[in-house]
Amino acid sequence: MAADSEPESEVFEITDFTTASEWERFISKVEEVLNDWKLIGNSLGKPLEKGVFTSGTWEEKSDEISFADFKFSVTHHYLVQESADKEGKDEVLEDVIPQAMQDLLCMNNDFPPRAHCLVRWYGLREFVVIAPAANKDVVLSESKCNLLLSSVSIALGNTGCQVPLFVQIHHKWRRMYVGECQGPGVRTDFEMVHLRKVPNQYTHLSGLLDIFKSKIGCPLTPLPPVSIAIRFTYVLQDWQQYFWPQQPPDIDALVGGEVGGLEFGKLPFGACEDPISELHLATTWPHLTEGIIVDNDVYSDLDPLQAPHWSVRVRKADNPQCLLGDFVTEFFKICRRKESTDEILGRSTFEEEGREIADISHALSKLTEPAPVPIHKLSVSNMVHTAKKKIRKHRGVEESPLNNDVLNTILLFLFPDAASEKPLDGTSSTDNNNPPSESEEYNLYNQFKSAPSDSLTYKLALCLCMINFYHGGLKGVAHLWQEFVLEMRFRWENNFLIPGLASGPPDLRCCLLHQKLQMLNCCIERKKARDEGRKTSTSDNVTNTYPGDAGRAGDQLGPDNLKGTEKEKGEVGKSWDSWSDSEEEFFECLSDTEELKGNGQESGKKGGPKEMANLKPEGRLCQHGKLTLLHNGEPLYIPVTQEPAPMTEDLLEEQSEVLAKLGTSAEGAHLRARMQSACLLSDMESFKAANPGCFLEDFVRWYSPRDYIEEEVIDEKGNMVLKGELSARMKIPSNMWVEAWETAKPIPARRQRRLFDDTREAEKVLHYLAVQKPADLARHLLPCVIHAAVLKVKEEESLENISSVKKIIKQIISHSSKVLHFPNPEDKKLEEIIHQITNVEAMIARARSLKAKFGTEKCEQEEEKEDLERFVSCLLEQPEVLVVGAGRGHAGKIIHKLFMNAQRLTESSDEAAGMAPPEEELKRMGSPEERRQNSMSDFPPPAGRELILRSTVPRPAPYSRALPQRMYSVLTKEDFRLAGAFSSDTSFF
Amino acid sequence: MDEDVLTTLKILIIGESGVGKSSLLLRFTDDTFDPELAATIGVDFKVKTISVDGNKAKLAIWDTAGQERFRTLTPSYYRGAQGVILVYDVTRRDTFVKLDNWLNELETYCTRNDIVNMLVGNKIDKENREVDRNEGLKFARKHSMLFIEASAKTCDGVQCAFEELVEKIIQTPGLWESENQNKGVKLSQREEVNGGGACGGYCSVL
Ligand SMILES: Nc1nc2c(ncn2[C@@H]2O[C@H](COP(=O)(O)OP(=O)(O)OP(=O)(O)O)[C@@H](O)[C@H]2O)c(=O)[nH]1
Ligand SMILES: [Mg+2]
Repeated sequence: MAADSEPESEVFEITDFTTASEWERFISKVEEVLNDWKLIGNSLGKPLEKGVFTSGTWEEKSDEISFADFKFSVTHHYLVQESADKEGKDEVLEDVIPQAMQDLLCMNNDFPPRAHCLVRWYGLREFVVIAPAANKDVVLSESKCNLLLSSVSIALGNTGCQVPLFVQIHHKWRRMYVGECQGPGVRTDFEMVHLRKVPNQYTHLSGLLDIFKSKIGCPLTPLPPVSIAIRFTYVLQDWQQYFWPQQPPDIDALVGGEVGGLEFGKLPFGACEDPISELHLATTWPHLTEGIIVDNDVYSDLDPLQAPHWSVRVRKADNPQCLLGDFVTEFFKICRRKESTDEILGRSTFEEEGREIADISHALSKLTEPAPVPIHKLSVSNMVHTAKKKIRKHRGVEESPLNNDVLNTILLFLFPDAASEKPLDGTSSTDNNNPPSESEEYNLYNQFKSAPSDSLTYKLALCLCMINFYHGGLKGVAHLWQEFVLEMRFRWENNFLIPGLASGPPDLRCCLLHQKLQMLNCCIERKKARDEGRKTSTSDNVTNTYPGDAGRAGDQLGPDNLKGTEKEKGEVGKSWDSWSDSEEEFFECLSDTEELKGNGQESGKKGGPKEMANLKPEGRLCQHGKLTLLHNGEPLYIPVTQEPAPMTEDLLEEQSEVLAKLGTSAEGAHLRARMQSACLLSDMESFKAANPGCFLEDFVRWYSPRDYIEEEVIDEKGNMVLKGELSARMKIPSNMWVEAWETAKPIPARRQRRLFDDTREAEKVLHYLAVQKPADLARHLLPCVIHAAVLKVKEEESLENISSVKKIIKQIISHSSKVLHFPNPEDKKLEEIIHQITNVEAMIARARSLKAKFGTEKCEQEEEKEDLERFVSCLLEQPEVLVVGAGRGHAGKIIHKLFMNAQRLTESSDEAAGMAPPEEELKRMGSPEERRQNSMSDFPPPAGRELILRSTVPRPAPYSRALPQRMYSVLTKEDFRLAGAFSSDTSFF
Repeated sequence: MDEDVLTTLKILIIGESGVGKSSLLLRFTDDTFDPELAATIGVDFKVKTISVDGNKAKLAIWDTAGQERFRTLTPSYYRGAQGVILVYDVTRRDTFVKLDNWLNELETYCTRNDIVNMLVGNKIDKENREVDRNEGLKFARKHSMLFIEASAKTCDGVQCAFEELVEKIIQTPGLWESENQNKGVKLSQREEVNGGGACGGYCSVL
């Protein structure tokens, strides 16, 4: 029956197991695992170095086996050792005892700061644990425990495995293990006692020594010496004397500061609660021998101040609330909101105020209205209230649009030009562009694909973040965004440049939203120039910088010339809009005949160079060096040309997609070139206008000089002359260049069709902005917020100079730059980045807390100060730090004081005397005896007492081999545990 | 046929006008040399599938115009490119001198810094060489690029150039692996190990 229900994979086992019991099967499975893991035989490693349990790497391997239908997990825990030469196990040395037994006596790793409990109790470097696989499963009954233990024993015996094997019994939280280790002729039993109530005789050394001795049951007299190691751990929780420092401000300090306490554009920073919750002082007597020290129920020599070793660890508050982290996290949450701006605000809110899209002046008039009170003060105090309320209640519960003061403050912050002397003059806004610094820090936007830290986009991101956190949550965000979009439209319609954006085409290294704003600025700039040009050009002045009335300019470029292109344009869709004008606009241009007067293009239409030469040159920018026209020797002029259309990355993407779609055939390639020839054609026309009567050769010499090949030749008269001609590829009949040249009419740039339709592009951008939901907005701006948060963390770190934090910040930057460069980073990755930033914030806050507690700033002696600072930074980075000089060292004295103050507070909280300075207290202490008593009371009762007793004793008979014996005991408030490892000689029984 | 294609790689060819970018590409894709090739307007585009070390890769190659006025069109093509071939003409020193400008442009528009760059000195079939092979080599070393001399006319080095480039890209996993496989630093985990939390056997005494 058993065989059927449990098919075995290994064929040869089938016959053996038909009659096997569950128990036998279990044992064989244990053996199998031990064999698989190659834990058989003795492999001696190097003696354990001091501290290697902490500094080394621990690894574990797991497998699952079952006893009937009860599942167990088997786990091998081991310290990774360099030369763990497991192959060398063939030469098993007969009289060498197993590694684990030797390790029982090793004193180099007593009381490791952090280790598996079995390591702590027994000093093992390697062991295997069998435990119920499911957390809720337990082995409780004594018979089952015994059954397991004997299985272990048999498996060890059968395999010759010398690694200790433990079984976990009782509830997991009790951490009860029994186990065994076997070697040739020797065995160690691992036993354990775990009690909630401590019998009185176990609370001190002398009682424990008695147990140890009786456990060993040593037949020898006198008993070999017992070595003793003791550690008492004291916990300090009461930091009252040392206020949570001001520096990382608590909420009140942050928003309460009257002088610009909370400024837009400044991120909050720091933990809201003390990120260091406890200090643990461990006082250790690493090596005592019996009789040297007295510790019994009435008297103790174990004065913590006198302990030879002190070490300290700090317990960090679990996830302390950190302002910056919260701030960014809350902003990130917006990314998941689905509502549109209108849905959030409810259209009516704004209709009531009579604000319509068409009447935008309202938004701006708000900016220019004189503020009755200095805006800063007013809004800051306002924020204080809101912030307090916000933080007391749960953030985000109360969502509301912004009140006017807050809105004004923000708009002024974003658009400082609105408040300046010459309000709203576009040109003044360029002054606001901080000169781009070349510093690495400034260029971070490049890596994050965010926006420069002095840009409007970046500021907007910070404002939205702040609004979201302190002023009305999502509703506030939607409100500000709506105002922002209105402001954008106002600026477009009134020709006011947007401040805080680098001029020029969109910077593709920045986030798309930033590019869109730059694009809008390009449109405004061109429109403005055109409108100004219109004012002045009534007298037919040539504007040099911009193509004049391009939009309205008529020209002779017949629709037929570009018919082919136009048709194809229809096919490939809208993306061509930005490359050339639509037909509608083109016809509109034709109807405008005013500009055509007296320029003689009508005659030039069919005319050759000769006729053209009679034309009045137009749209010259400057002379091109000393070059002259080939046919008449007139200077060659570089024409004013149309600026190429600026593009945002999404447009460019669309374009390249369309171009790629044309395929790789010859026709496709031709079409592609054709589509991109608008600029070439426009330049040719400008060139012809500026250089009446010119040839393609002239054009090529300016435009593509390498395609005009000059050679020195000897003419008939024997003189050296320069002879030039077009390159071979330019001479190919009817190539695109020749074709374009032939169709090009002499038209100056300002009267050409616009290559860039700023009106349409601006409308596209404005529409794009208007339809962004808060969630879209948050996604656009998250890189800016992360960028700002990283800068903030960097800035704060630089005040503390914590090398580990520096390293992590670097990692965060490189990690973020990878994540943020992809178009749609996964939420999980973004969360991870934010989490990392929060961690760093907490680390810095911890450093500050510790520095304040240890008073590193107050330390006057330079050397001591440095030592103390080093000590504090070690506390942050290492699990446990040795206090140099123990209780007598500088740090030790401070720790002593900390405990003393806490003690006094608890003992006599109402007594004023308790506040006496600790120095005097120390002096007051008289004789050593008295002092001892005093200092004992400086500390609370130890929260943990650990003891390790060790000896090498023959068992069970006086003539047996002397083997390692060890007992560990720990006493804390909640429990008491004895963990014994008792070895005995098995060969003569 | 596309099924066994490992990945599609985007490659960009840049360099001064007339150095032979389009000719190199034509040689590579169609194995011909056309002296009647017109100067490129804007950008052109070709596709070819090649196999390197048994890996098939589809190359989408963008051939840009060297002519300055067209360059405003090109930034978008830098985006997302995994490899860039920068070409100069060994018979025209000025095209070599301008390389610095091209590198600048690369730096400005490339969105990633692990992109593979290759320098190609073209037209080695011609007699009047002005740029020594060593100079090209030095430049490439200085800027951590691959380097090869080639001739689109005689076919020398052309195939090899593209293959090398693709091989290098494939060896740079971050460049072509899907972004999801992108391994981030797991700082958070380390932090968990250090700071408190539930005991999974590993713990301190208190
Ligand atoms: N002898 C020789 N001539 C070449 C070679 N490669 C290109 N050419 C010639 O050089 C001229 C320019 O070549 P293209 O391939 O059009 O140059 P390009 O770099 O694409 O130029 P643009 O498109 O203007 O940027 C043509 O006349 C080619 O025939 C070569 O390897 N050897
Ligand atoms: Mg070309």
